[in-house]
Amino acid sequence: MSSSILVEQLFDAAALAALLFLVSVGLSLVFGILRVVNFAHGIFYMLGAYVGSTLVRLTGSFWLTLILAPPIVGLIGAALESSTLRFIYRRPPIYQLLLTFGLAMILEESVRVLYGVTARSVDPPVFFQGTVELAGAVYPRYRLFLIAAGSAVGLALWLFLTRTRAGLLVRAVAQNSEMVGCLGGDVRRVRTAVFGLACALAAFGGACAAPMTTAYLGMGINVIVDAFVVVVVGGLGSIVGSMVGSLIVGAAQTWGGFYVSEAAMAIMYAVMAAILLFRPWGLFGEEE
Amino acid sequence: MRRAFVVLLWLICGLLVAAPWLCARHQLSILTELLIFGLLALSLDLIMGYTGMVSFGHAAYFGLGAYAGALTLLTWQLPIPLALASGAVCAAAIAWPIGYLSTRRTGIYFAMLTLAFAQLLYTIAYKWRSLTGGSDGITGVPKSALWWAGPSLGTPRAYYFLVLVTVAVALLACWALVRSPFGRAVVAIRENERKFAALGRDPARFKLIVFVIAAGFAGLAGALFAPFRGFASPELMFWVLSGQALMMVIVGGIGTLVGPVVGAMVFILVQEILSSYTEHWMIFTGGIFVLMVIFLPGGIVGTARRWLELERPG
Repeated sequence: MSSSILVEQLFDAAALAALLFLVSVGLSLVFGILRVVNFAHGIFYMLGAYVGSTLVRLTGSFWLTLILAPPIVGLIGAALESSTLRFIYRRPPIYQLLLTFGLAMILEESVRVLYGVTARSVDPPVFFQGTVELAGAVYPRYRLFLIAAGSAVGLALWLFLTRTRAGLLVRAVAQNSEMVGCLGGDVRRVRTAVFGLACALAAFGGACAAPMTTAYLGMGINVIVDAFVVVVVGGLGSIVGSMVGSLIVGAAQTWGGFYVSEAAMAIMYAVMAAILLFRPWGLFGEEE
Repeated sequence: MRRAFVVLLWLICGLLVAAPWLCARHQLSILTELLIFGLLALSLDLIMGYTGMVSFGHAAYFGLGAYAGALTLLTWQLPIPLALASGAVCAAAIAWPIGYLSTRRTGIYFAMLTLAFAQLLYTIAYKWRSLTGGSDGITGVPKSALWWAGPSLGTPRAYYFLVLVTVAVALLACWALVRSPFGRAVVAIRENERKFAALGRDPARFKLIVFVIAAGFAGLAGALFAPFRGFASPELMFWVLSGQALMMVIVGGIGTLVGPVVGAMVFILVQEILSSYTEHWMIFTGGIFVLMVIFLPGGIVGTARRWLELERPG
């Protein structure tokens, strides 16, 4: 394997990992605060891509789309949380899983009604079209942007959680929500806000992915399955875990897909099976 | 009250047996279909209701059974009971390694893993064109005879009875299973896994066995489906069908065995009615499901049982 191909693969893996991270970190965050795994999370990624395609057509600006799409989808997510999920936090976790499954079906079918079955393509901004020469390899610029965007969001999220007062409140709820309630914190609001934030992150990922993958039905379920593998590998409830998990899954898919396209999935599952056998709680998860 | 319940039960049994002479052709076909999906929901309830683990990828085993049954019928022209057996065995055999890995994690992780593995199986079925026919699936699956040179199952009426008997036997088998010492042990794990482990027994083995048995019954349902509709396709393994099976269980009532069959009945009838008005019925069934999860977690049979127990004196 020549070095230019190796460089190309490394960047491909990183670009894929960036998208996976944007989805899985929200999944992880919601689990940490709400103790719910959101099956509809991939659908919010898909919503981001579709809403993004509409916004690009309306505004003509990709950057404006990246700013507008996440809050729109985030609000939809927050509205759904406060109108359905909020009422059943006291039930066994099975019911919350089932509820988000129902939401996923409703949302997926709604997108089908609104947008039809044909995929929608989105043009990347002119500046990121074309390629760039990198260590002897010719590389598409847009993927470099994906890596930068994923890293920037990861850093921003980390700063938010560790350096701001609101982030402190979120971490407090993750650790002991009852105590936060006793001390006068509004736990319900934190939950809704975190759910909305996670949906916005997924939507940002979807809007970023659309120029590369187009917006299509089924992208939600595809990405949620990959994100599940990420959190199984990395461990739920840990940002570092979803980052490392994303990189591992991104690398497994890119490296496997290079030789035989069918092997991409097989290698990803082989990695997951190995983790389950030798470290069932994930690389950065807590032992049950 | 209890006597009324028993009478009702016998009445339903009688109606099911008499149905071929009471129903029109189209209605009989719907009835056959809902019995098949009832079996799928029943098998899912075996995992959900009695081990407390939610499988989000149960349709994969239904699809595996359908493919195995279809291939057995097409390549060897064997009688249908052998195709049913091959469907059940094949689904159970593939469920074994998947169950071994998935039952290492509990709760939420188990749900995620079963979905991930199901999508893997779906992708394989989609891509392995030479065996599965890719997205077209396998078509022209015949309804062969009951045994070599035996009576044909080609008529809707004969096939209905095959399905009815199979589902009834499966229901009784599951019923006996959950009342056996093995079934009691599984419920004990659901209630308190730590205590069970502290008594010196290995909960993982019990869970794995239930998972494999449930997959086998799902495969049996799939193998019934393939000759009934004449095809097996990747859609039968898709997450949407897994979700619908979950809905049937919840609508009917978790942990009641009969409930999921009732749930399948209600679900398919609602779908039949809605789909004559709109092709986007999934929005409405999804909405009904969300409302049921919030307001009626016991499902139809679970809630009815609670009422009966409240009314019983003493």
